[in-house]
Amino acid sequence: MSAPTASIPVTGGWRDWRPWLRHLAGTWRTSLRFRTLALTLALTAFTILGAFVTMALAIQNDLFESRVDQVQTAVARAMASTQDTLSSAQTDGDSAALEDLMKATLTSMTRQAGTTMIAAVRVSNDPSVIAPQDRYQGGIQPEMISPGLRESVERDVEQRWWQSIGLPTDNGSERPGVVVGQQAVFPDVGAYEFYFAYDLDSEAQTLRFVQVTLWLVGTVLIILIGAISWVVLRTVTVPIARAAETSATLAAGDLLGRSFNAMADSIESQIKELAELSLVQQRFVSDVSHELRTPLTTIRLASDMLNDQRDTFDATTARAAELLHAQVQRFEVLLTDLLEISRYDAGSVQLENEPTSLAHLAEDVIASMQQLADQHGTDVRLVAPGGYSPVDMDPRRVRRIVRNLLGNAIEHGEGRPIVVTVDSNQNAVALGVRDYGLGMSSADSERVFDRFWRADPSRKRTIGGTGLGLSIALGDARLHGGTLSVWSDLGRGTNFVLTLPRQGGALGATSPIAVDPGDDGAALEELGLTQPIPIPHITTTPEGTA
Amino acid sequence: MTSRILVVDDDTALAEMIGIVLRTEGFDPVFCGDGAAAVDAWRTERPDLVLLDLMLPGMDGIEICTRIRSESGVPIIMLTARTDTADVVRGLESGADDYIVKPFNPKELVARIRTRLRPGADAPSETLRVGDVVVDVAAHEVRRGSEAIALTPLEFELLVALASKPQQVFSREMLLEQVWGYHYKADTRLVNVHVQRLRAKVEVDPDNPKIVTTVRGVGYRAGAVV
Repeated sequence: MSAPTASIPVTGGWRDWRPWLRHLAGTWRTSLRFRTLALTLALTAFTILGAFVTMALAIQNDLFESRVDQVQTAVARAMASTQDTLSSAQTDGDSAALEDLMKATLTSMTRQAGTTMIAAVRVSNDPSVIAPQDRYQGGIQPEMISPGLRESVERDVEQRWWQSIGLPTDNGSERPGVVVGQQAVFPDVGAYEFYFAYDLDSEAQTLRFVQVTLWLVGTVLIILIGAISWVVLRTVTVPIARAAETSATLAAGDLLGRSFNAMADSIESQIKELAELSLVQQRFVSDVSHELRTPLTTIRLASDMLNDQRDTFDATTARAAELLHAQVQRFEVLLTDLLEISRYDAGSVQLENEPTSLAHLAEDVIASMQQLADQHGTDVRLVAPGGYSPVDMDPRRVRRIVRNLLGNAIEHGEGRPIVVTVDSNQNAVALGVRDYGLGMSSADSERVFDRFWRADPSRKRTIGGTGLGLSIALGDARLHGGTLSVWSDLGRGTNFVLTLPRQGGALGATSPIAVDPGDDGAALEELGLTQPIPIPHITTTPEGTA
Repeated sequence: MTSRILVVDDDTALAEMIGIVLRTEGFDPVFCGDGAAAVDAWRTERPDLVLLDLMLPGMDGIEICTRIRSESGVPIIMLTARTDTADVVRGLESGADDYIVKPFNPKELVARIRTRLRPGADAPSETLRVGDVVVDVAAHEVRRGSEAIALTPLEFELLVALASKPQQVFSREMLLEQVWGYHYKADTRLVNVHVQRLRAKVEVDPDNPKIVTTVRGVGYRAGAVV
């Protein structure tokens, strides 16, 4: 693979920490356990670190001081015995004797002070031929003795001085050490400064061991404390979480629901049984309707043939053929309606929506029913101030609703004008069909959507409706998420208003067309047939034409 | 010449009644009451049109339709008691040209049959070009290069309708009137299903149609000549 592709995972991996950090922050916000654990660990680690560092420092100090004390004691002893030896020595200004004395002194010092690193430096700068040379033995170097230390030792005859130094090792690094200095007076040639260097390596090793041990113990402690806090937190938070869950389920009613389950199960099974029974019934109606269709087709074909040839029959047979033909048609409509109703009951109806202009649809339906209106001497007027822009609906079903409403209005309109109104607002489109016929009592108007219900059984029937039309219309309206409402008053006529929501929306609080026409109880007779019919909130009144 | 019509229906009363209607109108009906025997009956009788009930014992109408379609483009009209979307669409997809819902009246039945039997209508007898396809109207033939494409008469008529007015966008209603002879609001699924079937045959890539193009929200149009 080429270099760029190889480098991608690397940069990708680099950026990985960001989501990880976000995740961590998220956990911090949401998990009490995580927050407590993290806090406990951080505080414990801080405390342990503080304690151990203090401890390490104390141990270091103690080790160092006791060593220095020990060194001081050894040096003091060595110096005391050296001074005794020097005071009693007889050299008589002989350089060789002085040299021997120096050698003997250093040898005894080495034995008594417990270090080979000893330096002897003459205090006085006056040249002397007999004074022994400055000596540095056992690895001590002149630069190890700082001018400050020398000054202090030179100034004070009786006092011992010490200083921490770094001793060079073979590999060039330094190990800790201490150097102690004091004067001793040589006969004839004056005072010499003696320096004893001690190596603190074993103390340093002890200290290192202590430090490593402390680190290890600290780490183990932190881990242990973390584990312990986690366990303790679990034992504390699990019951809390469980209690919280329980209270949540209690709040949601689940617990209550569960305790009612036994009861609900039996109710559910009964409902299921009923639903199955209802489903069986619906399927039965559907099957019957379908099964009836084949023989009905035969009857229909036969009756149509007979009806077409009725001119060749005698009057009675011709009338019989005519009646047969009409009733077969009625039967067919009834069957179709029944099937449609059974579909609603089974919930198996699907809308085939397409954008449709309700105003144009109303115009079409009025045109298609013009002939029927003419037969009844009825003038159908369309008033459409709005509702032209297309709205999603199943035009086949809406057309059926409008045809049904208009058919009813023509049938019950007593030959008086019928006003079809179409209007819209931002939530819905609506269509009203108003007739000025006999109208119904409020008790009757409440039942108009009932199946097979007829307002007045004695009333003359000319259209031959099935008594299912309005139920189907209501079903269609509801299927669209709309409403079909009715206003009726005896002597003032009836007003049906179909309201359909715009695309996927909900119906507003008010329909674009009021169900109650609010025409002050004025019947059409008083308005007069030739006078314009006042429709509120309408400015123009274009006549509906074929 | 009288057209022979094969009526496949297990209901003898209805079959006989349909026979009476057809004879009155000057057709020559032959009958088959058993689904399993329907395809054989079609092979021996070689009818000009098949009236096919969807619900049959033996073999169902859709299966019969598929088998006949695999051998011939003979016009098939389904008779169905169910108007449910799924049933009708399944029937059309299996190759039926049209369908009639029971109960129907004699005029409707005869009108449907006559539309499907009418000869090449008033289409111009010339050679039309759509996309990379040549339509020889007189010879009833469609070719892409030297390769002949077999279409049913209905599919041919649909293609000719579109190709004869390449500038025009045809709404589904216009096609229903021109090709199926419906003069009132009818089922636009007829158009949808048959356009799909036509595309499956004439398009190089039916998912990216070049011969019968969709004009969104309006209908269909013949593709530009290449």
